[in-house]
Amino acid sequence: MTPHDLSALGAGFSNEALGSQAVFRTALQSMSHPGRCINLDHDAQVPKSGHPASAALLLALLDADCTLWLSPKLAHSDAAVWLHFHTGCRLVDDFTQAQFAWVAAGDTSPALDTFAQGTDAFPDQSATCVLDVLALQSSGHDAADWTLTGPGISGSTVLKAEGLAPDFLTQWAANHARFPRGVDVFLTTRQQVASLPRTTHIELARGN
Amino acid sequence: MFHAFDNLAPNKALGRADWMALLSRAPPDLLECALANHLIAAPQWLRAPETGLMMVQGRAGATGERFNLGEVTVTRCALRMSGAKLDAALVGVAYVLGRSHRRARLAAVADALLQDGAQHALLETTLLSPIRKHLALQSKQRHARAQTTKVEFFTVAREAGDAGDDEENQ
Repeated sequence: MTPHDLSALGAGFSNEALGSQAVFRTALQSMSHPGRCINLDHDAQVPKSGHPASAALLLALLDADCTLWLSPKLAHSDAAVWLHFHTGCRLVDDFTQAQFAWVAAGDTSPALDTFAQGTDAFPDQSATCVLDVLALQSSGHDAADWTLTGPGISGSTVLKAEGLAPDFLTQWAANHARFPRGVDVFLTTRQQVASLPRTTHIELARGN
Repeated sequence: MFHAFDNLAPNKALGRADWMALLSRAPPDLLECALANHLIAAPQWLRAPETGLMMVQGRAGATGERFNLGEVTVTRCALRMSGAKLDAALVGVAYVLGRSHRRARLAAVADALLQDGAQHALLETTLLSPIRKHLALQSKQRHARAQTTKVEFFTVAREAGDAGDDEENQ
């Protein structure tokens, strides 16, 4: 699919300003409560590839100054055309150059420390990763997979995410240790989003 | 890249870029008349009309270094004709000078219809050739108006002979 083929393109938010503000509000809500699963409501005609929640989230976050890296399943798909058309973002082939990265479910994400980490003086220049996962659970007995602590979490909270790399926890521990540098992660299912800002500490829950 | 849109070679088929160049300069009344049947149903907006600024670049004599000539107001939009299925290719795009959302919509509708082989021949006669005539007339009128301001510069030739030399000697 070429970047100029608009035949299968869907529309963006029906109201650009209000639609992206609503999604941005959800993203803020999610980032300020790490590990909490939040429904991401939107009315955009999202592309077929990738999770709808990720597409809507990136549609709200990106603009023409942003660089975006897409995992192999998404690159050259309708998702790439859609995001490029509606946001004007620049698609890059080299993930180390990207400010945003979107990894489809089933694609292996590059290691977190290979993305832009920012610097001690400018930690805001690090990458933001959107990882599509198969399932998310943040409450109930089954959810006790990870124990999350850190800013935005009263005491501790639990989260279970299916479909991440097996060594994700090791990568995350290193990412957390690099603070104030390091990447921030959005985990998304088809409708829900949960955030892992770099300040969040993750441990395997007791009993595992 | 310099592209002479209005000097189409006779054996070359009319490309999408060519008709979009025509539509972007078409007078709104012409578009309204030719497209009246297709404007009843509201289109599905892929990008609702939006107005912004664009930097126009120029080259002296079309060959010199690129320079920024100035900013122009441009309205753009993209739409899918209503009733068309998501996979049908009836997507129209328009970039039009000025701030008229209506004009951008008209041009985009025309662009969508022109991509449909069945409608193309009809629109070629009812829309594109009148636009070409209008643009040719407009350019002729402008040319005529400019001609009235033409100034003939000529140099008075020196008279032959030794008159000049004589003056210098005196």
